[in-house]
Amino acid sequence: MMNKNTKLKGYLVNTVALAVLLMAFLILNANFKTPFYSVVFIPSLWQISYLIILAASLNLVLGFLGQLSLGHCGFMAIGAYTAALLSLYFERAGIFTDKKAPVFIVSILVSLLAGGLLAAIVGIIVGIPALRLKGDYLAIITLGFGMIICNVINNLPFAGMEGLSKGSAAASLYKTGLGFGNTLKTKYAWVAIVITILCLAAMFMFIRSRFGRAIESIRDDEIAASASGINVSLYKVGTFVYSAFFAGIAGGLFACCNSSLSTASFAFTNGSILNSTFIVVMVVVGGMGSLTGSMLSAVLMFLLNYVIKNVIKASGMPLFVQNLFKYPMLVYAIVLIIVIMFKPKGILGTREFSLVNTIEYIKGKLGKKAVKEGGSK
Amino acid sequence: MKKTIAMLLAASMVCPLAACGGAKKAPEGGEIKIGTISPNTGAMAVYGEAMVNAYDMAAAEINADGGINGKKVVLVKKDDQMDPTESLNAFNALVAEGVDVVLGAVSSGCTAAITDAANEEEVLLLTPTSTADSITTKDDYVFRTCYADSFQGKIAAKYAKDLGCKEVGVLYCAADTYSKGLYDSFANACKDYGINVVAAESAATMETIEFSNQWAAIKAKGVGFVFAPFYYYTVGPYVVPQARTAGYTGIIMGADGYDSANNYISQGSDLSAWNNVMFTNHYDPADKNPVVKKFVTNYKTKYNDTPNALAALAYDGLYMIKKAMEKAGAEDAKSVRDALADTSTVYKGVTGTFTLDKSGTPVKGATVVEYYYDKANNKVATKLRDVVKKLD
Repeated sequence: MMNKNTKLKGYLVNTVALAVLLMAFLILNANFKTPFYSVVFIPSLWQISYLIILAASLNLVLGFLGQLSLGHCGFMAIGAYTAALLSLYFERAGIFTDKKAPVFIVSILVSLLAGGLLAAIVGIIVGIPALRLKGDYLAIITLGFGMIICNVINNLPFAGMEGLSKGSAAASLYKTGLGFGNTLKTKYAWVAIVITILCLAAMFMFIRSRFGRAIESIRDDEIAASASGINVSLYKVGTFVYSAFFAGIAGGLFACCNSSLSTASFAFTNGSILNSTFIVVMVVVGGMGSLTGSMLSAVLMFLLNYVIKNVIKASGMPLFVQNLFKYPMLVYAIVLIIVIMFKPKGILGTREFSLVNTIEYIKGKLGKKAVKEGGSK
Repeated sequence: MKKTIAMLLAASMVCPLAACGGAKKAPEGGEIKIGTISPNTGAMAVYGEAMVNAYDMAAAEINADGGINGKKVVLVKKDDQMDPTESLNAFNALVAEGVDVVLGAVSSGCTAAITDAANEEEVLLLTPTSTADSITTKDDYVFRTCYADSFQGKIAAKYAKDLGCKEVGVLYCAADTYSKGLYDSFANACKDYGINVVAAESAATMETIEFSNQWAAIKAKGVGFVFAPFYYYTVGPYVVPQARTAGYTGIIMGADGYDSANNYISQGSDLSAWNNVMFTNHYDPADKNPVVKKFVTNYKTKYNDTPNALAALAYDGLYMIKKAMEKAGAEDAKSVRDALADTSTVYKGVTGTFTLDKSGTPVKGATVVEYYYDKANNKVATKLRDVVKKLD
C-alpha cells in the first residue's frame, strides 16, 4: 500500500521531472534550428502527442473497464471537426486574425475543449444503449458507430468536403483556423506537450481515484462489483464518456497538426496507423491496464510506421530489406504477434512505469552491488 | 533467449532511425535529388506502382541521355498509402533530406494536404495526377501535369449535350474532393448547356461497394446518361455491373479514375454490361504519335504491361521538371518555380503538347475513351472515341 508520504513524494518528483524536461525542451526549441528538427522531429512530436492521448484514453475503456470498443476514431473525428469548425468560426468572427497572437492560443484551447466536450456528449448518447451489451456485441455496435460518424460528417453541409473545402481544397485549415504549418508547429510545440501531459495527468488521477478502483473491480468481476454496491451501468457509461472526451481532444490536436481534414483519415479502411483497430493494437501491445504502456507503444508504433515508410524505403538500404518491408501492414501484424508471443499481457502488462519506484529500484540495485562488492573483499 | 531476441528487435528498429538523422542535407555535386510521393501500397497501389515504374523509366532515360544540366537524377521515392497524414509525413521527410523538387501526391485529397506545406517550405511541388480545381492557386510553388476537374466535368456535360440528352443523372461521393469537384463542374456545365440534372445520388465514401439503391433511384427518373465519377477499384466490380443489374441501360460516363477499371471486373460477371461506358482520359495508348509510341513500347518491354494514363502523366511530370531546370540553368526550387511559371513554355509530352496557365495547370486536350465488350476475345477492351482539344 502506498502511504501518504510516498504519494506526496511521487507527485513532487514527477512534477519536478516534468518541469525540468519541459524547460529543457523549450530551451532546445528556441536554439535548435536545423531543418531536420523543424520538418521531421516536431511534426512527429505532434503526431506522437495525439497518438498517446488516443491510446491512453482507449486503455481506460479497454484495459481498466474491460470493454472492447472499436469506434474510438469516431470520437476523434467528432473532436477534430468540432475544433476545426469552431476555430474557423472564431477567425471569421474576428476573435483572432494573426496566428502569432496569444489570443490565437486561447481560441485553440477553447476549440479543443469544445471538441472534447462534444465527443463526450456523443459518448453519452452512444454509451447508454451500447454499454448494456457485452463483449462482441459492444464491439460491433462501436464499430458501427465509427463508420456511421464518418458518413454523417461527410454529408453534413457545413462539415465534410463541402464546408471545409471552401478555400484551397481540404488544406483550407493551413492558412485559416487552427491549422499549423511547420513554423507554427515548432513555435507552439509546447501546446501539444502541455495538453498531452494534462490529459495524461487527468487520466492517471481518474484511475487512482475511487472511480478507478470501482471500474477495475467491474472488469475483474461484474457481479461481485454490483453486489458491493457499485452502480455498474453508471460507472461503465462514465468511463466511456471520459475516454471519449480525451479522444475528442486528440482529434483537435490531429486537426492542428495536419492542417487538413478528410474523414478518410478516421475511416475504418484507413491503411495507415490511424484507425480504430490499430489504436486497439497499440493498447494491447503496450499492456491493457497500463497507461504508461500505452504511451510507450504509441511512440513505438509511430516510430515503426515512420521508419518503414520514410527510412527503410528510402534509397540506400539493400533491396532485400526494402522488399521485406514492402507491405507495412504485414509488419504491424508481425510485431503484434511477436509481442503477444513473448509478452502475452503486453510490454508493461498491468504495471505502470513510476519514476519514484525506478529511483528506488536503482538505489536498491546499487546498494546490493555495494554490499556484494563489500562481501567479496 | 527471449530477452535477447526482444533486445535485437528493438535495436533493429532504432538503428534505421539513427540513419535517418544523418541524412544529407544538400545533394552532392553531380546529383539532383527529386522526391516522389505515391500510394505504393493500399487501395490505390495500381496507380502508385505504375507511376513509380514511369518515374524510374523517365529517370533512366534522362540519365542515359546525360542527365539534367549534366547532373544525374536520383529519385527518392515515398509511399503515402493514400492517407493525407502520411503524405504530409512523406513530404516533410523529403524536405529534411534536402529535396528541392517533389513529384506528388496522386489523389487530390492527399495533394491538398501538402500544397500549403510546399508553399511554406518553398519546395516545388508538381503533382502529375491531382485534378481537383483548388490544387493550384495563382502564384505559388504548386504546379501540375494533368488538366483540372472543371475541364473534365465540362467534357462530360458536352457529351451529354451532343448526344441530345435533356435530362441526366449523377452518381457521386459528396465526401471526396475528386468526386465532388467533378460533380460540381459537371452540374455547372449542364446548367450552361440547358441540361437538367434530375437525379443526383451520393454514396457515403469512395470505397462504397453497394450502389443498388442509388441506381434504382436513377433508373426511376428515366435518364439515359449518368455521370459517375469514381475510382477504378469500385467502378470495375461494383458501379457498372450494379447499374445493369438495376436495369439501367443508358450511358455511364466517368472521368480519369476509370482508367484500368477493366482489369478489375469480377470473374464470371456479364461483360456486356460494359457497352455504353466511357470516360475522359489523359492519353490514348494506341496513339500513332511517335512520342507516345516510344513511351508505350519502352514501358511494355520494361514492365510487360500497357501503361495507364497515370504512368504517362508521371513520365511527363519528370520531363517537365527537366525542361524547367534546363531553362533555368539551375536546380533549386526558386529557379525551377520561376521557369515553370513562364506561361509561354511549350511542353511536348506523352499526354499532349501543352503550356501552363497562370495558376500552373496545363492547357491541353482530353481524350474520350470508350469501353466495349469484345466478343471475339471475351474481354472488355477500350477504344478511342474522341479527342477534345477545346470546349466551345
